[in-house]
Amino acid sequence: MFIHNLKYSLKTLVKNRMLIFWTLAFPLILGTFFKLAFSDIESNEKLDIIDIAIVNNDNFKNNEILKESFKALSDKESSDQIFNTKYVDEEEAKTLLENSEICGYLIVLDEPKIVVSNSGINETVFTEVTNEIYANASTIENIVENEIKNEISVPNYDIDYETIINNAIAKVTESKANIKDISSNNLSYTMIEYYTLIAMACLYGGILGMSSVNKNLANQSNTGKRVTVAPTKKTVTIMSSALAAFIVELIGVALLFLYTIFVLKVDYGTNLPLIILLSVVGTFAGLSLGIAVSCIFKTSEDTKTGIIIAFTMLGCFFSGMMGITMKYVIDKNIPIINKLNPANMITDGFYSLYYYNTLDRFYLNLISLLLFSFICLALSVYSLRRQKYDSI
Amino acid sequence: MIVFKTYLRVVKKCLVPIIIYTAMLILFSSINTSNNDTTMSFTAEKPDILIINKDNSKLSKHLVDYITKNSNIIDIENNEEKIQDAIFYRDVNYVIYIPENYGNDFLENKEPEIEIKSTGDYQASLASILLERYLTSSKSYLRNNITEEELILEIDKTLENKAEVELTSTLDTTSLTKANNYYNFSNYCLLGGSIYVICLILSSFQSENIRKRTIISSMEDKKYNLYLLISNSVFALILWLLYVVISFITVGSIMFTMHGFLYIINSFIFSLCSLTIAFLIGNLMNNKEAINGIINVVALGSSFLCGSFVPAEFLPDAVLKVAHILPSYWFINSNNLISTIEVFDTSSLKPFITNSIVLLAFSALFIIVSIIIARNKRKIG
Repeated sequence: MFIHNLKYSLKTLVKNRMLIFWTLAFPLILGTFFKLAFSDIESNEKLDIIDIAIVNNDNFKNNEILKESFKALSDKESSDQIFNTKYVDEEEAKTLLENSEICGYLIVLDEPKIVVSNSGINETVFTEVTNEIYANASTIENIVENEIKNEISVPNYDIDYETIINNAIAKVTESKANIKDISSNNLSYTMIEYYTLIAMACLYGGILGMSSVNKNLANQSNTGKRVTVAPTKKTVTIMSSALAAFIVELIGVALLFLYTIFVLKVDYGTNLPLIILLSVVGTFAGLSLGIAVSCIFKTSEDTKTGIIIAFTMLGCFFSGMMGITMKYVIDKNIPIINKLNPANMITDGFYSLYYYNTLDRFYLNLISLLLFSFICLALSVYSLRRQKYDSI
Repeated sequence: MIVFKTYLRVVKKCLVPIIIYTAMLILFSSINTSNNDTTMSFTAEKPDILIINKDNSKLSKHLVDYITKNSNIIDIENNEEKIQDAIFYRDVNYVIYIPENYGNDFLENKEPEIEIKSTGDYQASLASILLERYLTSSKSYLRNNITEEELILEIDKTLENKAEVELTSTLDTTSLTKANNYYNFSNYCLLGGSIYVICLILSSFQSENIRKRTIISSMEDKKYNLYLLISNSVFALILWLLYVVISFITVGSIMFTMHGFLYIINSFIFSLCSLTIAFLIGNLMNNKEAINGIINVVALGSSFLCGSFVPAEFLPDAVLKVAHILPSYWFINSNNLISTIEVFDTSSLKPFITNSIVLLAFSALFIIVSIIIARNKRKIG
């Protein structure tokens, strides 16, 4: 009987086109949209080469340090190139700026002056780099001044200006800041979007579980009445229907995984067995959610679908699907919401596998998911036990 | 008139889902606009930096002061997991760890190491420019027997040299960005809302018995479809109007300027266009259940591809090229144009007018195609 019901439940599920669209096709389509929209965001946040102009007046021509520094920073062959510099007169610089061909221009009057049209990040980088060059120039001046003062204080001084200046320049150019970068390599935050997608697919799978279990409930349909009066144990019919839904769900999530890994190039980290474990547990949580909704709420199948979709979308919203910062804002300020949110447990589990070196956070999420599933199942068993109808 | 009356009767029946759906979309976009300061603004001028200072010397304090003056200092609990999260979600762009005894070790020329964590984006590069400038200039001044105070004095002398910055633009870029984000997001709401409601209502007109009844009536087919389209435009206009009214609340005073006026005109033209798209889809489909799937694919798809959720400048070029075939592209392109116009004259408005003509041409095309489809569907059985 178990196998018999399993077989027919599978057939009914696979033949329901709307169900298959929402649980299998929709996550794939949404993932493709994510890929198209987000693939360039992070590379765009890196520093691009900035178009600037410099007014080529006498002051600039006479300032060796500025001239040489900008020449070095605009060198197309060098890997340190930040600027694409045009040397023009003031009128031309103004026109270039008006036509937005450059982000700003530098004019050296008594002091250097930067003219920009608005205050964006490129403009800030331009200003800061100029300040840096200018600071270096003044450091050299100060060092030379100090050295000369020292020399003068000694009686019978004999000053070798060229050595002093060369030493000062060498000192400034050789002074390298002693900084060690200890950042993690896995910093791609758009990955969160794909993790929420997996979470959504897992929980949407609940619709399959709900629809499958619904076929066994007497108050839902004529088929349900027929199944209930049959001399088969409720455990057998419900378990086999749930298993059928679980199988379809797992196939859906596996397809989504293959698609995200091989087509969308999503990075889940390197720990494959744990990734699979988390997705199976996530799918199970979705199934439990579906069964619970199916058993506890005494309404039509459409309303039950609505409940699962609303619950899932709200959960995904809090775990960052519609804006990655949302997850962080919730995690930081109202952590209890996301501690109870199964969509976030799945998302956060993948996140901790991807970003963290330790597994504590991962296991916490995994255990929370299992707890969530068992609570859902316990509630379902409680509401199904000894269910009797005198009339429907 | 009879078409319109029937239309209103159907609307009355579906009033609850219509109101819920519309309210949800509008709520969603207002949350999105108010939340936008943190998600979409890539123009912050100061990097967000967190400093963990374990040293007590004057030198390290001076460094902290200097960084504080030139950046936004973010205050986060000194807990490695919280810091890690903050970096991942770009709450902090750069973390500087100053080791114990830094000041003394530095003066004794032991070259102490400063550890950093960075997000590797624009702001992090800026932060690293700041830090490196301080460290290199302090190192250049380092010589035997120099005291901490002397060193600080000399560093200050260097760092106070700054180029003067002149700003030429008069545009209020923050409010304009806000308005722009709001109206770009409206692409999803106007399109999704129109398709959902219009398809829901049209599907009632599509049921076989009702179609038989209308076909047999004396009303001309073209006229009937035109009346239906006009009736539907009532809903599209209400949706648009709601959206505009809320923009005055969420976006603020910039809506009362010429920029705001152009945003409103542009969204009006797009509302007409989404009405015709919805009408076309409604004519193509007979299945009520499939409406939700279609909305998500059409509305979400064109929003993602054309730059409604993610600014167009961040989209890959290939995607934008393909997006030219979608009306949303022209709508969003106009919005982005409006935000950069400084002087309103014929030459600056020309691209805006071209985009509007393209949108109207799309609408005309959709109307013609829907009427042709409706005619071909007249044979029943």
